[in-house]
Amino acid sequence: MLEVRHIRTGYQKTEIIHDVSFEVSRGEFLCIVGPNGCGKTTLLRAVAGILPYQGEVCYDGTSVARLSRLEIAQKAAFLTQMSEVTFPYTVRETVLLGRYSHRKGLLSGYSKDDYRITDETLERLDLTSVADRMINQLSGGQLQRVFLARAVVQQPQLILLDEPTNHLDLSFQLQFLDYLRDWMKESGRAVLGVLHDVNLVRSYADRVLLLQNGEALACGPTAEVLTGDRLQTLYGIDVRRWMLDSLKKWEDGNKE
Amino acid sequence: MTKKILLSLAAAILVMTAAVVIGTVMIPLDAAWGIIAHHLFGTALPEGISGSQAVIIWNIRIPRVLMGFMVGAALASSGAVTQSLLRNPLASPYTLGVSAGAALGAGVIIITGFTLASLGSFLLPITGTLCGLLSILAAIVFASRVDAGLSTNTIVLAGMVFSLFINAMLTMLTVLNRESLERIAMWQLGTLSGKSYEQVFGFLPFLVVGLFGFLLFSRELDLFTFGEEQAMAAGVNTKRLKWVLLTLCGILTGSAVSFSGIIGFVDMIVPHIVRRIFGNSHRLLLPMTMIFGGMFMVLADLIARTVMAPSELPVGVICALTGAPFFIWVYFKRSGGGKPHA
Repeated sequence: MLEVRHIRTGYQKTEIIHDVSFEVSRGEFLCIVGPNGCGKTTLLRAVAGILPYQGEVCYDGTSVARLSRLEIAQKAAFLTQMSEVTFPYTVRETVLLGRYSHRKGLLSGYSKDDYRITDETLERLDLTSVADRMINQLSGGQLQRVFLARAVVQQPQLILLDEPTNHLDLSFQLQFLDYLRDWMKESGRAVLGVLHDVNLVRSYADRVLLLQNGEALACGPTAEVLTGDRLQTLYGIDVRRWMLDSLKKWEDGNKE
Repeated sequence: MTKKILLSLAAAILVMTAAVVIGTVMIPLDAAWGIIAHHLFGTALPEGISGSQAVIIWNIRIPRVLMGFMVGAALASSGAVTQSLLRNPLASPYTLGVSAGAALGAGVIIITGFTLASLGSFLLPITGTLCGLLSILAAIVFASRVDAGLSTNTIVLAGMVFSLFINAMLTMLTVLNRESLERIAMWQLGTLSGKSYEQVFGFLPFLVVGLFGFLLFSRELDLFTFGEEQAMAAGVNTKRLKWVLLTLCGILTGSAVSFSGIIGFVDMIVPHIVRRIFGNSHRLLLPMTMIFGGMFMVLADLIARTVMAPSELPVGVICALTGAPFFIWVYFKRSGGGKPHA
C-alpha cells in the first residue's frame, strides 16, 4: 500500500536520507530501526508529505505529489512524539479534530458520523471517562492514547509513528502497541513506525528497515534483519552481551 | 454553555445601552428609545425631548458606541487568531507590526496634509489599512525568505523587528515635524470621539470580510493550535492558511487602528478571558471574542469620557489601566495562583 522509491530528502541544503527504497504492505508493521541522528524521523516526515523530497512516494499506486493535503490525510495519519500544548482542549474536542480530513464543503461543521466515530474510538481506547477533561490534566499515557485516538478517527489506511511510546512506562507501551496491532489487522491497514526499544520491535514489527547514516542497511523480516551482528554494526556495541549483562544484573538485584 | 452565551449577549446589550444613555448629559432610557424609534420607524418624538438630546443620542453616541463595538470586535478577534496561529499567548497584531504600519501611514497623511478629493475623510483609514497590511505582508515575505517553512518563531521575530523599525521611522517623522506633534500623538493614543455613521459604514465592509474569514477557518485554527506539523498531517494547507489569516488580521487591525488610533491590550486580554470562560475551540472562541472585545471597548470608552468629564481621556489609556488588573485577576485566579498553563 505504500511504496517509497529512491527517496532523497533533508533540511535546507543538507541531504539526510540518501536513496532509500522500501514498501509496506497491508496488514504489516514495518519498523525503522537505527541510531539517533540516522534520519528516521526525517524519512517519516517525507513519507507524510511534510518535508519536500526527491524520488517517489506512492500510496496505493498514486504519487503523493499528485495528492492534496486533505487527500494525503485520508490515506495516512502521523503520530509524533508528544508536543507541548499552548492552548488546551478537552479530550473529545481533540479527538474530534481528527475528522477534519473527512469534512464536506467549506462551511460544514461536524456530522453525526463524526461524533459517533469519535465516541466509539474514545470507548475502545478507554478514554470515555476522561472525555470532558482538559488534555493538559492527563497523564502521559492517557495523552498519548488521545493522540492515537485522533489518528484513528482520521480513518487512514496507514499510521506513521514517530517514537510514540518514548515517555510511557512498559505496561502503557504494550497496551498502546497491542491496540495499534489490533487496529492494523482489522481491515488490512498498515503501520510504519520508529521504535527505539529492540525488544518491542521484535515483538511487534513484521519487518524491519535498518537505517544507518541515511542509507538502508537492510530491509526484511524482523528475525532475519535484527541479528546481533547487525545491531553491533549499527550501534557499535555488542548488543547480545549488553542485554545478557543487564539481565544478569537485574536477576542479581532480585536475589538480594 | 448556552447559559454563558446568553448571559454574555445580555451583558453586551446592557453595556451598549448604558453607553448610549450615560454621559455628560444624562438621558433617560425611555427618551433615548423614543429618539431611536423616531429615526428607525418614523414615530413621532415623545414630548419633552429637546433637539440637543436627540442629536446627542442619534448623531453622537450611537455611532460612537457602534464604532467602539466594531473596533473592539476586530482587534480582539485578530488577537485570538494571531495567538492560535503562532501558538504564542503573547502574540498580537500589535507585536506583528500591523499597528505600527497603520500608524506610520496615517502619520504621513497627517504631516503632509495630503488630500484626495475622491476619498475625502476616508483617505486616512484607507491609507492606514493599506500600510498595516503592507507591514505585516513585508514581515511575512521577509520571514519566508529567511525561512522557507515560514515557522512561527521566524514570523514573530520578523514582526517585532519590522514593528520596531517602523516605530522608529514614525518617531523620526514626528520629531522633524513638530507642528503636527500633538495631532499625531493624540491620534496614536486612540480615541473614539467624533465618529460618524459615514465612518461606521466605511469600516463595516472591512469588518465583515475579516470576521467572516476568521469564522470560516475555525477548524483549521483548532488544528493549528497543536502545531504546524500536526495540522499538516491532519490535512491543513498550513502555508496558505497562514497567508490568508495574517492578511485578514492585517485588514482588520489596520482598518480598526486607522479609524480609532492605536488601542492596545484589547487584542491580548480579551482572547485570554474568553479562552478561560468558553475554552479554546475556535467555533465558540471566535464569535465570543468578538462580542467580548466589542463590549470591553464600549465600556472602556464609556469610562474614558465620564470619569474626568467634561474632559475626555484617551480610550487606549483606559483599556490598559482597566485591562491589566482585570487580566491578572482572571488569568491567575482560575489557575489557582500557580503557573498559567500547568
